[in-house]
Amino acid sequence: MISQTAIHHLVEKLGAKNVLFEKEDLLVYGYDSTPGVHHLPEVVVFPSSNDEVCAALEIAHREGLPIVPRGSGTGLSGGSVPAEGGMVVCLSRMNRILEIDEENLTATAQAGVVTLDLFNAVAAKGLFYPPDPGSQKISTIGGNVAEDAGGLRGLKYGVTRDYVMALSGVLADGSFIRTGGKSVKDVAGYSLRDLLVGSEGTLAIITEVTVKLIPPPKDKRTFLAYFSDIRTAGAAVSKIIAAKIIPSTMEIMDRTTINCIEDYVNIGLPREMAAMLLIEVDGHPAMVAEEAAGVQAILEEVRAAEVHIARDAEHANQLAAARRTALSALARVSPTTLLEDATVPRSCLAETFDEIERLRVKYRLNVGTFGHAGDGNLHPTVLCDERNHDEMARAHAFYNELYEKVLQLGGTVSGEHGIGLAKKEYLRRQIGPGGVAVMRRIKQAFDPQGILNPGKIFTDDEQCADVRIEEGFRVSR
Amino acid sequence: MSHDEPMGNFVTRDAPAYEGILQCMRCGFCLPTCPTYALTGRERSSPRGRVALARAVAENRLEFTPAVKEEAFFCLDCRACTTACPSGVHAGEIMEACRSQVHEVFPTTGLAGGLRRFILGKMVPSPELLETSMIPARLYQKLGIQWLMRHSGLLKLAPRWMEKAEGMLPPLQAPLRTQLPEIVPARGEKRGRVAFFLGCVMTLLYAEVSRQTVRVLAHQGFEVITPKQQKCCGAPHMNEGDPETARSLARHNLDLFLDLDVDAIVTDCAGCGAVLKDYEEMLEGRADHARLALFREKVRDISEFLVEVGLRTEDLRSLDLSVTYHEPCHLCHAQGISTQPRKILKAIPGVELREMKESSWCCGSAATFGLKFTEESQQILDRKLANVAATGADALVTANPGCHLQLAWGLRQAGMEQPVLHLMEVLGKALPE
Repeated sequence: MISQTAIHHLVEKLGAKNVLFEKEDLLVYGYDSTPGVHHLPEVVVFPSSNDEVCAALEIAHREGLPIVPRGSGTGLSGGSVPAEGGMVVCLSRMNRILEIDEENLTATAQAGVVTLDLFNAVAAKGLFYPPDPGSQKISTIGGNVAEDAGGLRGLKYGVTRDYVMALSGVLADGSFIRTGGKSVKDVAGYSLRDLLVGSEGTLAIITEVTVKLIPPPKDKRTFLAYFSDIRTAGAAVSKIIAAKIIPSTMEIMDRTTINCIEDYVNIGLPREMAAMLLIEVDGHPAMVAEEAAGVQAILEEVRAAEVHIARDAEHANQLAAARRTALSALARVSPTTLLEDATVPRSCLAETFDEIERLRVKYRLNVGTFGHAGDGNLHPTVLCDERNHDEMARAHAFYNELYEKVLQLGGTVSGEHGIGLAKKEYLRRQIGPGGVAVMRRIKQAFDPQGILNPGKIFTDDEQCADVRIEEGFRVSR
Repeated sequence: MSHDEPMGNFVTRDAPAYEGILQCMRCGFCLPTCPTYALTGRERSSPRGRVALARAVAENRLEFTPAVKEEAFFCLDCRACTTACPSGVHAGEIMEACRSQVHEVFPTTGLAGGLRRFILGKMVPSPELLETSMIPARLYQKLGIQWLMRHSGLLKLAPRWMEKAEGMLPPLQAPLRTQLPEIVPARGEKRGRVAFFLGCVMTLLYAEVSRQTVRVLAHQGFEVITPKQQKCCGAPHMNEGDPETARSLARHNLDLFLDLDVDAIVTDCAGCGAVLKDYEEMLEGRADHARLALFREKVRDISEFLVEVGLRTEDLRSLDLSVTYHEPCHLCHAQGISTQPRKILKAIPGVELREMKESSWCCGSAATFGLKFTEESQQILDRKLANVAATGADALVTANPGCHLQLAWGLRQAGMEQPVLHLMEVLGKALPE
């Protein structure tokens, strides 16, 4: 337990309203958006400057408390769940955009700035920050960097990592670190910046982010294509890529997902169709026209059941917004939505859909699949009830077998959600014990005492402890 | 609402249903839409946090503690999170159900408890008692005591909520219920027959607004029946955690209105409309389902009704008025009525609608929230007033008495000149004599 003295010191340094320790507060900082994992911290702090982060870390150090950074708690692998208790450092009050540099095309923001707020602020100056995770209205830029978040535009524009130019943060020992800069080229030593991106809060607490901005596309066209079987949709995706067309967005939704979204948004999505692709091409108007014609020709060639073009920008935005609600909308069907993040080389999409279907039947599960088809990044989501132990066991068997296939195909166990608590064992299968050992040595170099977000990505002891996803809000380990 | 034994540390049958709580998968889509979370930045005052607290209580991981009680009442019940929730979680209703636990777990005794029981259990359910209770307030205004109080600074000595409540009182008239004929004939070509549900706040504080609503309905070709025996819709009781009295009021109104041979049951109060549409759920298993469904089928907000039947605009006068529209939470979030009021405004000749930013963000009134949490309510109101001011519109239009009171008070305090008008007052001005 944290001592009263430590609480007193924290209050002194950060102010009473920035230090929470009542049980009701601890309860609601013990989760993120990952199903089934929950653990109470001992204290939650809200620093509003680098100095306050350092001060909080120093006190945590003295108390021997694990430290878990948190943004808005929208992560999907348990990254911000304080799995071993300790201090949650919530960066939501460090939410200022510090600079939009129109000469160098960069923006610098504190970690707690909401992704969409950053997007809107740079858009107002005629600039474009492309990464757009499904939770962009809620998630913070710091959280995006820590998890290397992807999004709908990943296919053409890449993911968060591709835009991070510089990072500032605080290391486990309370020292300040700054890595990268506004220079387009930078090969000065190891790229610590790239190590920190996607480190899930295990190497440092990121407090400030400088991102690269680009000019926005001048034109875009949005297609909706309906399919009477999902395999054809997969084939369409592979053919479009093979035709050397890179749409900005190529999203897939299966029938279950279409129906859940339609229940929520009611915009006339095709309930009876097996699958739907949302495709967007953007860029210079001449190129958009050419690529749109190419996409249309391929959709006709593979015999998509119907092809529609968005009426206007507003309609296109409405469709993208609807797609962003997919995961949450699936939660309408059942109390528990177990979502995975399997990613395969794009040429293997159709095969992966077949495998998902085969396993769905084998394990008698209700599965909704959606995802970034153009990236080969699928989110097969098992709709289940955590109170039904038999069903949960089948769900885990389903993923176990699916990941075997994904790895066989040369894919990855996580495209964009991270390893966190949920996928440690799968990571080991993917990169082998040697890979885990190197990662552990890197972790040791940054955080010798292992106090930053312990229990994530891999466990501290040699063997990977078995993470049990228990029912409800209970301790995950 | 659950009919089974309450789960975990909940105590009464009106506890939140566990299935509804489990529906939340904690995606956080609600966070940016919650006015109280925007104020505190504290997860427990967000819809996701509140539902998690309810879940912890249901799972015996948390007692029904004073902090849970506080959050249940700190929730504005504005339902913005319901609109934003892709999973279909009703955090506002879950908090209403938590409020019903409060009086079991922390019973109020003595004068305060007695007063609460008298107001909710006796006074509000009786139109006559309610009307009588307003006589002192009317005298207070008529005899010039109000002028004296406001100018003497005496009110500054009272608690803040009392000063605010006094300041919110609009100029009072005699209650409309006793004056309105039970049948008002249709004008022009008759299109149908409707019942008018006259809300308590409307009849007592905004008699002139509802008078216009009836006038509009008649002008639109509807015969209007306003049954004198109607009682409070039950919204204050649901809000204060007294579902039992709410249900008995609902049963009374259900029987009264279903006995009338009408095409629709129309109200001009967003709060009443939302609860009337909820009777089906409130009385599920306690009244005949077919009757509940029939009642639900007939309830309409006035703007919803007018757009559905098609607004007759041939003989409307031109107004030369720019307006901005504040969406009452219980209209846009609780009933999903957002386009209809705008369609009506745009159909009135000479009216220019200037959209404000965040038109569907709560004004901070929220039943008694504005009096219980005066400071927080003021911060929410300030945000709204800034958005109103930015439009430069001549008038602020809304469609709910709670918002009306709060906004009129706020504009006056801020020295802003725009009047607050109910949508039906605007339409009423455009009607031929």
